[in-house]
Amino acid sequence: MLAFENAPPFAAPLRFFLSAPLFAVLAGLLVAFEGPDIFASRWTPGALAATHLITIGFMLQVMLGALIQILPVVAGASLKNPLTVARIVHPGLSAGALLLAAGFMAGMPVLLASAAFVLGLTALFFLAVTARALIGVANTSPTIRGIKLALFGLAGVVGLGVFLALALAGGWSIPLMALADLHAGWGLGGWAGVLLAAMAYTVVPMFQLTPGYPARAGWGFPNFMLVMLVLWSVAVFADWPWLARLGQLGCALAGIAFAGLTLRLQGKRRRARPDATYRYWQLGLIATILALILLATAAVWPAAADLDGWTLIFGALLMAGGFLPFITGMLYKIVPFLSWMHLQNAGQAKVPAPAMNKILPEIGMHRQLLAYTAALALLLAAQFFPALLTRPAGLAFAAANAWLWWNLLGAIRRYHHHRADIEARLTTP
Amino acid sequence: MTTIRSFMTEDHRRCDDLFAEAEQAVGKGNLALAEVTFGHFRSAMLAHFDSEEKTLFPTFEAKTGMRMGPTQVMRMEHEQLRSLMDDALAALKTANADDYLGLADTLVIMMQQHNMKEENMLYPMCDQHLSAEVPAVLERLETELCEP
Repeated sequence: MLAFENAPPFAAPLRFFLSAPLFAVLAGLLVAFEGPDIFASRWTPGALAATHLITIGFMLQVMLGALIQILPVVAGASLKNPLTVARIVHPGLSAGALLLAAGFMAGMPVLLASAAFVLGLTALFFLAVTARALIGVANTSPTIRGIKLALFGLAGVVGLGVFLALALAGGWSIPLMALADLHAGWGLGGWAGVLLAAMAYTVVPMFQLTPGYPARAGWGFPNFMLVMLVLWSVAVFADWPWLARLGQLGCALAGIAFAGLTLRLQGKRRRARPDATYRYWQLGLIATILALILLATAAVWPAAADLDGWTLIFGALLMAGGFLPFITGMLYKIVPFLSWMHLQNAGQAKVPAPAMNKILPEIGMHRQLLAYTAALALLLAAQFFPALLTRPAGLAFAAANAWLWWNLLGAIRRYHHHRADIEARLTTP
Repeated sequence: MTTIRSFMTEDHRRCDDLFAEAEQAVGKGNLALAEVTFGHFRSAMLAHFDSEEKTLFPTFEAKTGMRMGPTQVMRMEHEQLRSLMDDALAALKTANADDYLGLADTLVIMMQQHNMKEENMLYPMCDQHLSAEVPAVLERLETELCEP
């Protein structure tokens, strides 16, 4: 039952972290390859494929990998065999993301159905092993309870996603657009948003030395978000558009409140120097607030969503502007810290491990952050000047994520180098 | 009601505050002041480790019979933290801000994930298993931590 020493082997989370950026590269290349037509609407095959390469290939990949790593630390819940879990979930997500993207691009029912099958089973397996680890863990912190609630969000987004993919494959007659909106709401709000908030309650105060989140926000945000999503779901099934809009408005306002609160807390941070993680979070928080203002506006005034590019700008701001920066910022702490920790353990207190900034130097992260910010700006500008900027934006987005991959790979190369050195020094007395 | 968890968690936060003072001094470029404030932080941490290793952990081990379990892991992490603090202090003494920042970053994460394990798991276990001894243990911890 105790999770003190069973920190999972490095190989368990690392495979997720190293493959995630490659999916973002693929999404960028797809945008560059398809060109201006990809942004004609959010329903083009290219836009759907790129979105899912980002959400499943990048976001879900890192989120599940990180959960395998941190469940023992934050919740005292250890998965029975983390390496085996990783060996099943990682290929499942990777193959599922590729099949789904290919299914959208080719419009082939068999690909869509296979993607639904692979992703559904993978998520079901992950949910089963985490539920087993979390059962009996008391809700002693907003983080623990937030993670548990986020898993309901994961079940919601995957359930709806599988249904939508099968409906597309089988040509079923369903309210596709309303269900796709709901699917996005469960994914970005109920799963990714609640999970992010649950993690933020712990990582923002502890690692950035800010004041803590007020208890009401910490316990209330996940509840409120899920209640809004349930209302929205009821509205879709009962065909009450006004209630769906109310649910969307609630999700947007809750997200704005959470991001605004986090910005305010970060303003009171007491670390010596702003680092790449902090700047990535600032970027993510500002972009999230802008995105959610668009969502709230469209909920109150639905005609706005019909304006050219409205929904695509919302999506780009929330995913490329919000979630990816949050996740990248955290990867820039997690990967060097885990490298340090495993080197420290390998050295058995006889050979010291190099500090984190020797494993992943700040300058490399900072330059990549600038490149990513430029790519994001291009991506947003491409919505206004598609003919001119779509291809450059796709290439820039691919390049910035390739750079992220290169930075992480460099850290792992240095890790292996030091590891070999430590082992050599331990064997030669 | 004061519990081991609430009392020791409070002490973790006090150490965090002292660490933050050192960070602010480094941020302002005042390495001499940083050395002094980091020294305060280090003393508070060492006193905290000592009170755990000499009072809390042995009581827990005697009562539960778990000698090689969680407390052993916590002792190992204390060693790692002691060595990180020594290195960070040495970096401040030689006015090497870059080395300090790298070590401080490692130290913060190591310290916080260590604290998390204690606050979320070990201390609640102590409160649960030592229910009869809690007042006496708290009294001893209080003397050890308040009179450095």
